[in-house]
Amino acid sequence: MTPSPERRPEETDMELINRWKAGDSRAATRLVGRHSQALARFAASAGEREGIEELVQDTFVRAFASLDSFRGESSLRTWLFTIQRRLMLDRRRAERRSRETVPVQESDQVSEYGALDGLIAEEAQERVRKSLEALSPTQRDVFTLRVQQGLSYKEIAEVVGSTEGAARVHYHNAIRTVKEYLRDE
Amino acid sequence: MNNCIDNEIQELLPDLLHQSLDGAIRQRVEAHLATCESCREELDVLRTVKSAAVFAPAINTDSIVRQIPPYRMIVPGVEQPKRSRMVSWLVAAGFALAVIGGGALVVSNQSRPAQSVASSASVTPSQSTEPVTVVPETHALALASAADLSELSDGSLVQLMNEMDDFDALPASEIEPVIAVDSVDSL
Repeated sequence: MTPSPERRPEETDMELINRWKAGDSRAATRLVGRHSQALARFAASAGEREGIEELVQDTFVRAFASLDSFRGESSLRTWLFTIQRRLMLDRRRAERRSRETVPVQESDQVSEYGALDGLIAEEAQERVRKSLEALSPTQRDVFTLRVQQGLSYKEIAEVVGSTEGAARVHYHNAIRTVKEYLRDE
Repeated sequence: MNNCIDNEIQELLPDLLHQSLDGAIRQRVEAHLATCESCREELDVLRTVKSAAVFAPAINTDSIVRQIPPYRMIVPGVEQPKRSRMVSWLVAAGFALAVIGGGALVVSNQSRPAQSVASSASVTPSQSTEPVTVVPETHALALASAADLSELSDGSLVQLMNEMDDFDALPASEIEPVIAVDSVDSL
């Protein structure tokens, strides 16, 4: 009797990658399903407010297009975070440039706050979001990767292109700022 | 601010939150938390921050999968090897050097006639006792390569002098001849 698919042990990311390379498109569905929500959380925590799904999609498209360069030295999720963070940095640069050239329309501000309201409903989450906004972009990335994603300092250093020591310093500065903000509010 | 002095435990709090600690270390952290109020407060903050992240929008995985192109294996022969990439960099660097060197040569050639005039005009009294006629270096070379001047007829010499007047490299204003002054005579 053959074992049912539900009882099959969880396949590793590397096994799924190999299956996808062999032509099994369901393996891609499994990989996207496994990591997409974590990527969306990371994007939301990092301050992305609009187009999070598009960002996650771009991350996966880029990742799958260059899977041959993924050697499995880090986890696939860490690698995906690295790709997504680069995309977010590109976005921030592009937004900064457009802010410098195009004045912000009143209607844009309204739609932005509308999306934000949908994203964060409760007061506690709003306070957390504001406390994260008080951090520098790198501090915020390090802090959310550590607290919300549970990455090690080594993995975080890889994502943000830094050292473990620098990641530790960023984390300690961030936790101090967040605690002070939440206590004062 | 966490007043606890045990930095090692503080660093493990996010791992405790994600239940990624091994048994013995987990017990140690939990035992510490039982006695340390600062670390308990910090763990509460971390828990709040972690739970706030749940509010990311739900992602439609099917639409993402539809955008993923089918796998195309990179054939080793098609991919450019590292060595040839290095060679192409060296070629590019060599080309850039050649362009810069060529440009420098052109610039130096353009500035040479002016330099020769300046050097001819700066003859010191001790170097010459005769009035100096300034002749461009290129034309002086041409004369030197010609037959002995004594073999030329008067007409040819006059014609040569007239041609020298038309040389472009000569300055518009005529340079004053430098006359050597004998220090003994001046006394």
